[in-house]
Order: sequence, then C-alpha cells, then structure tokens
Amino acid sequence: MTRTIRLAARQALLEQRSFWRSAEYALFTFAFPLMILLLIGAANAGSHLAGTDIKRTTVFVPGILAFGVIVAAYVNLGSKVAVLRHDGVLKRIRTTPLPSGAYIGGLLVSTIATVIFITAATGMIGWLAFGAAPRPGELPALAAGLVLGTVCFATLGLAISSVITSAESAGPVAYASFLPIAIISGVFDPTFSGLPDWLSRLVDMFPVKALAEVLQNAYAVRPFPAWDLANLGLWTAAGAVFAVWRFRWHAT
Amino acid sequence: MTGDAAVRVAGLRMSFGATEVLHGIDFDVRYGEVFCLLGPNGAGKTTTLEILEGFRAQTDGHVSVLGMNPAAQPARLRERAGMVLQECGFPRQSRVAELIDLWRSYYPNPRPLGDLLEVVELTEVRNTQVRKLSGGQRRRLDFALALAGDPDLVFLDEPTTGFDPEARRRCWAAIENLRRLGKTVLLTTHYLDEAEQLADRIAILRAGRIELAGTTHEVAARAGLATRISFTTPSALRRGQVPLPDGIDLSVRGPESVCHTGNAAMTLRMLLDWARQHSLGDLAGLAVTAPRLEDTYLQLTRDPA
Repeated sequence: MTRTIRLAARQALLEQRSFWRSAEYALFTFAFPLMILLLIGAANAGSHLAGTDIKRTTVFVPGILAFGVIVAAYVNLGSKVAVLRHDGVLKRIRTTPLPSGAYIGGLLVSTIATVIFITAATGMIGWLAFGAAPRPGELPALAAGLVLGTVCFATLGLAISSVITSAESAGPVAYASFLPIAIISGVFDPTFSGLPDWLSRLVDMFPVKALAEVLQNAYAVRPFPAWDLANLGLWTAAGAVFAVWRFRWHAT
Repeated sequence: MTGDAAVRVAGLRMSFGATEVLHGIDFDVRYGEVFCLLGPNGAGKTTTLEILEGFRAQTDGHVSVLGMNPAAQPARLRERAGMVLQECGFPRQSRVAELIDLWRSYYPNPRPLGDLLEVVELTEVRNTQVRKLSGGQRRRLDFALALAGDPDLVFLDEPTTGFDPEARRRCWAAIENLRRLGKTVLLTTHYLDEAEQLADRIAILRAGRIELAGTTHEVAARAGLATRISFTTPSALRRGQVPLPDGIDLSVRGPESVCHTGNAAMTLRMLLDWARQHSLGDLAGLAVTAPRLEDTYLQLTRDPA
C-alpha cells in the first residue's frame, strides 16, 4: 500500500513536470479561464443583480471557479488519458509491474494539483480585482464543493477519454462537449436568461450549472443547493460506472 | 519445475472466435540464449508473444515463463521479464533519463541509470525530450525501459521493423549487449538476416505452425536443402569433348557448372575423380556453399500453407 502511494506520488510529480514543460498546454489551461474572468468580470464590475444588493461579480467569480475545475479535471484529464491511450503509453505501463491503481492515482493527484493552482489563481484574482470573496465561515463549504466538483468531473473526464478515438480530436471533443453547456448554464453571465423553458430545464440536468451553483452558494446567500449536490453525486456515479466499464489500456 | 528452459511452450493453441491461429506449437528457450521466432506477417508471432507476456490466455496447451504461468501471475512475471511491444509510445513531454528513472522506480531491483543509458547508447541524449528522438533512438529507449528492472528475460516484438540500415545496426548492437549481459532474449522478426545475425536458435513459424527449429545451420539442413557445388566450366567440357560425370546432376550454365547434393563429401570426391580421369586438373573456381537459411526460408514461405 505504501509502495502504491509512493509510486503514485512519483507519477504525479512527473505528470506535473510534463504539464508545466508544455508551455502552450499549461498556458491555455490557465489563460482561458483567467482571461474570461478578467474580461467579463470587468464588464460586470460595479453592477448588481436585478432587484438585489448582490454584486454581479460575487456570483460570476465562483462560476469561473467552476469553469476552472472543469477545464482542469474534465478537459485536461480526459484528453490526457485519451492521448496516453492513443500513443500506447497505457499499453506500455501494462508491461511493467506498476499497479494500475498507482498509475491512475498518479494521474488523479496531478489533476488535483492543477485544480488547486487554477482555483487559487482564480480566487485570488477575483478577490483582488473584484472584491469577490467567500462569505465568512463558508470556506469549508467552498472547499467541499471544489472537492466534489473535482471528483465528479475527473470521473467524467476518464469516462469521455474512452469515447475519444484519436489524439488530435481529444482536446476539441473534450471542450466541445461542455463549453456550449457552460455558456447556456450562465457560467459566463450570471444574468443569462431568455432560454426556452425546455432548454433551461435540460441544462439544469447537467453537472456544470450544479457545480457553479454549489460554489456560488459559498459566495452569496442562496437557497441550499440540495438538488445540485444530488446532481453532482449522480453524475459522479454514472461517470464512474461508464469509466470502469469502458476503460481500456490499449487503443482499439 | 522448469528445468533449464527460460520459456517452455508445449502444444500451444489459440483461437479467436472460430478461427484457430496457433495450431499447437512447441518450443523451448534456454537460459542465456537469443531465440528468434521467425516468420512472415500474420504467422502468429505476436499472438504467441502476447500469450507468453500474460496479455492473453491461450485456448489450449502449456506455457511456462521463468517457471511461471504468465496469465496467472502477470505482475510477478513483469518484475523479471522486460517487454518491448510493437509501436508503443512515450509520454510526450518526458526526457530520456527522467523517463528511464521513472521506470526504474517500478521495479524492486533496478539497473543503474548510467548503465542502462550505456547499454542502449543513449548517454549523449539523456536530457533530450523523447519526442525529439529519431526512430532508432526511440527503439533503443524501448530497450532501456524494458531493461530498467534488470530482467532475466527480454521479449522483443519485431524490434527493427521499418528501420534504415544504420538504425538497424545500432539496434542489433544493443541486442548483442543484452546477450553479453547474460539476458535471455526472445525476439520475433520477419527479417531473415536479423534472425541469422542475432539468434542462437530460431523457430520458423508459418500460419500458426512451427515448420522448423534449431540453430540456423540445423534449420537449413533439416529443410532438406542441398549443398551447392560450382566450378568454372573447363573449356573441354564446354566444347563437349568430355562426357558429363555419372551419378551427378551437373548442369553446365555457360562459364559456370553447378550441381546440388545432399552429400557434399561424396559428390566432391566423385567430381574430382571425374576431373582427374579427363585431365581437368583441380577444377578451377571450385566452390562449396552450405545451404543458407535464406534458401530454407524462401522455400518455406513461398509454398502455399
């Protein structure tokens, strides 16, 4: 067991080193959410949600926190595993005595590290630039939401990796499968509305809005997000079942 | 117990659905030898290797690798057997030494890093990113990773397919280094010269059957191929002033006369007697060529299965 943990830690370290070594990859992962944070945040600064004294940025910043979690856990991990499988790296791992748990564990730990970095960057900028901070005493709730979101979207990332069939399409498929949902979920615009009723109900089914609302609850008083937590739990379970069922060490 | 064989294969059969691709093959690989499974594409070489590596369970028959049943104990086997598969990639951003070092951490008794770099001649590119390596260098990195745990046995699946002559030569040198380290090597190839160059013993696999096995000379001899005897056609023979020798299937092909025989010594004696009788001297340009593996292989693989 300790050997597995040690090996996983070592694997995670190499993954992180590789991640930062690939400048364009790291930059894109970080630049995209942070750019949106600054641009749209600036446009929203100073105004309030209609009929309330809640600043728009107070809801917008945690939305971007959710976005960062999804990019790091779902897009990055999903496309990474798809590429590793396509390149035959997973197959090569199988020729060694490394326990599969240590390998997958290493990938997950590295993903968690990326989530922590991107969350810290988004949170700090949101606080310094727009004065958006979690409600007093809500930091544990925020952390719990981040953990749940990371687990949920990392599971979904592993699941989507089995659907991606080529290294070239890995990034695009991962992005295309959540970006439209993120937009109509109002992650980039807290006042986004005017959707047909059926569409907004459909979007509510996905975990993107759920995670955003859970994190928003730590920033601004909202109804307790019971439904959102259940939603994330269900998606995690479904993602885990699919990921385990379809996981392959070699490209087909 | 397995006795002195590193790999023992007996009556191995493998079917995919209703199609049987291995029809009961037998061979042994001794400790410390380089054994080559030679055969054309689709003969079943990779399938055989995958069974020995524990990636597939056979349909029938017995296999033992380093005394283990590979399908039942894959993790234990992998601590002592290195594997080079066909077309396996590397993590994209990793560097040579860093990757080898990571691989070393997977094993209980790894070989020293510097030693590994030396065996595969990658010391000078140790800090290079893997994606910048040439095809030959990548293959040698494959070897280094397979050797990281200091295995007793190394599987190499078609190690030089698609390489230019220089890359092949360096790859062969690396395999010779494995032999020098006392490793048992089981390699597959469809290149005859590779088998001839590297292998202590070979088995020719064709359409799921072992056609022949043994040292290269044994294989050629067992194929029933004849020794070739040739000499410069004496002018008297060419002009028809001398009768052809009795009991020898000699053909006069212009400047060269050639015969094939299963008993080289006797045929040679008869030829020289005949030459003395007809005052042809010692037969200028006399050459005796033992049957070559190439002839055997070509004959085997050209025949319909």
